[in-house]
Amino acid sequence: MNQGRSQAYVAMQEDVATYLSTGVAPDSYTPQQIPPVLIEQVDRSGGFTTWYDDRRPDSPWMWAAQPVDGRVLFVQIDMGTAMRSLQALDRHVVEASLAVLAVVVPLAALAAELPNRRLRRVARTARRIADGDLDARAMRGGRRGRDGDEITEISVAVDAMAGALQERLLSEQRFTADVAHELRTPLMGLVTSTELLPAGEATELVRDRVRALRSLVEDLLEITRIDAGVEQADLASVPLDQVVEESVHRTEVRARLTVTGAPVAYTDPRRLNRIIANLVINAHRHGRPPVEVTVSGTTIVVRDHGPGFPEALLVDGPQRFRTGAAERGRGHGLGLTIASGHARVIGGRLTFGNAPDGGAIARLHLPAGDRT
Amino acid sequence: MDVGSGSSAPVTVLLVEDDEVIRKTVAMALERYGYRMSVAGDGLTGLESYREQRHDLLLLDVMLPVLDGIGLCRKVREWSQVPILMMSARGDGLDVVAGLEAGADDYVVKPVDTSVLVARMRSLLRRAAFRPASGNPPEPAPGAASDLVFGDLTIDPGGLEVRRAGEPVALAPTELRLLLAFAANPGIVLDRRTLLRDVWDYGWDGDSRVVDLCVQRLRKKIGAERIETVRGFGYKLRR
Repeated sequence: MNQGRSQAYVAMQEDVATYLSTGVAPDSYTPQQIPPVLIEQVDRSGGFTTWYDDRRPDSPWMWAAQPVDGRVLFVQIDMGTAMRSLQALDRHVVEASLAVLAVVVPLAALAAELPNRRLRRVARTARRIADGDLDARAMRGGRRGRDGDEITEISVAVDAMAGALQERLLSEQRFTADVAHELRTPLMGLVTSTELLPAGEATELVRDRVRALRSLVEDLLEITRIDAGVEQADLASVPLDQVVEESVHRTEVRARLTVTGAPVAYTDPRRLNRIIANLVINAHRHGRPPVEVTVSGTTIVVRDHGPGFPEALLVDGPQRFRTGAAERGRGHGLGLTIASGHARVIGGRLTFGNAPDGGAIARLHLPAGDRT
Repeated sequence: MDVGSGSSAPVTVLLVEDDEVIRKTVAMALERYGYRMSVAGDGLTGLESYREQRHDLLLLDVMLPVLDGIGLCRKVREWSQVPILMMSARGDGLDVVAGLEAGADDYVVKPVDTSVLVARMRSLLRRAAFRPASGNPPEPAPGAASDLVFGDLTIDPGGLEVRRAGEPVALAPTELRLLLAFAANPGIVLDRRTLLRDVWDYGWDGDSRVVDLCVQRLRKKIGAERIETVRGFGYKLRR
């Protein structure tokens, strides 16, 4: 606009000089062409004046008027070209900015995405380790310490942790297996030797103690395995009525079994077998008959009619080598600990309570399975 | 107290065990059940003994001096399909998997009652008795049954012969029984529990790793693509 005004001023000075020297006005505008606003303005100011004519937006003009010796000279400058070049400039600025953004934004995003992705991998690895996959590593093989930044440091730390954890679990596992071997080998000799003994009262006493020693060793090994966290459930959809019936039958304890419907649980039948056997034997040993086993849905309830579970067990859960109360008789307190451990491994929930009319109640809730 | 293998010769069993008390007492206990026992204290002696006498069943401890039970099992399986029962004191560890991979038919965990051991041995010998080579197949049915064909696999259920692309396949007793269980149910998925019951005579307390590892061994012999794994259910034989 200012550019247009100064252009008009220069042109006007030329025209004035021409007019003054020749006496001929160089402009040839008809009065119709002159905008009335401009005439008004020049009348009012009495000197050089300009008016920006944008009556037609696509081709604007800059008008100038100056009174010289009793007449008024007019100059008209085309502003369209200037405007168009300005518009072009604007457009170019916009296009250039867009181009720069188009290049810079993805680059920036990419630059941020790489560390983010690496961090996410570290987080994923940590989660997998927590879920028990000790082979998970944050650093892929060969990509060690690429630039020694903080993320690399975190990854190295997570990997070191997983490695240490794995090493410890493995040595725990080896130790458990070695202990098992060292204990079971002489025990096997003892078991088969006593089987060869001639029948008699003394033999029966020895056999009874061998049985007690054997079950204690097996229980301890089982607890060690569960505590080491190396136990893995072998899950399948199994018909609960059959498994429970077989488990109860094998304990050789007189128990009343009630099953409603044909429930199917998604469970590990060998561990379920152990849980039920331990609960039934516990009820038989520490409670009073009748021992009742009820299966409804995927919940298994074992109850007796004895003095009930001791308060400490209801509060703290089963503790090894603690039967809690003298009236519950002898025992190692391992059976219920093992039952709870196996219940955890198979994703079930084992709760203990007492019936209002007396008697201990153990409830095992199992995940439901598919009927096939 | 006889083994029930007919009337003639008693079943011969080779026990390879390094613990002297176990070796003596198990041998004595099994003799009471009517088995004719041979014993060896290490793997190499055991291997030589089996080469000479060709016992009907091998009872192997896993941890043995010189050549361990797994190595011994692998060596025997190179040329013999004798029934093999492993005894492991570690049980829960890798011993079981390694033993079954090496070709053992089943395993027991020490300490084991003689009655349980005998039950496992009987089940194993029943599987082996299917084989005409070991004497009398239960149902000879000459020419009655026609060959079953699964791809390039041909099973003669009468003669109990298995051929792959015309070549005879040597299958251990359990592998053969497993294959026959599949062949009797073509295209039907058999779950691990069913197989444990039908092939191994286990109840609900059977270890399903036994099935998985035997299927693995069978696949190596008859072609991996022949037995399809149905995730979460079991296996089926493909036509």
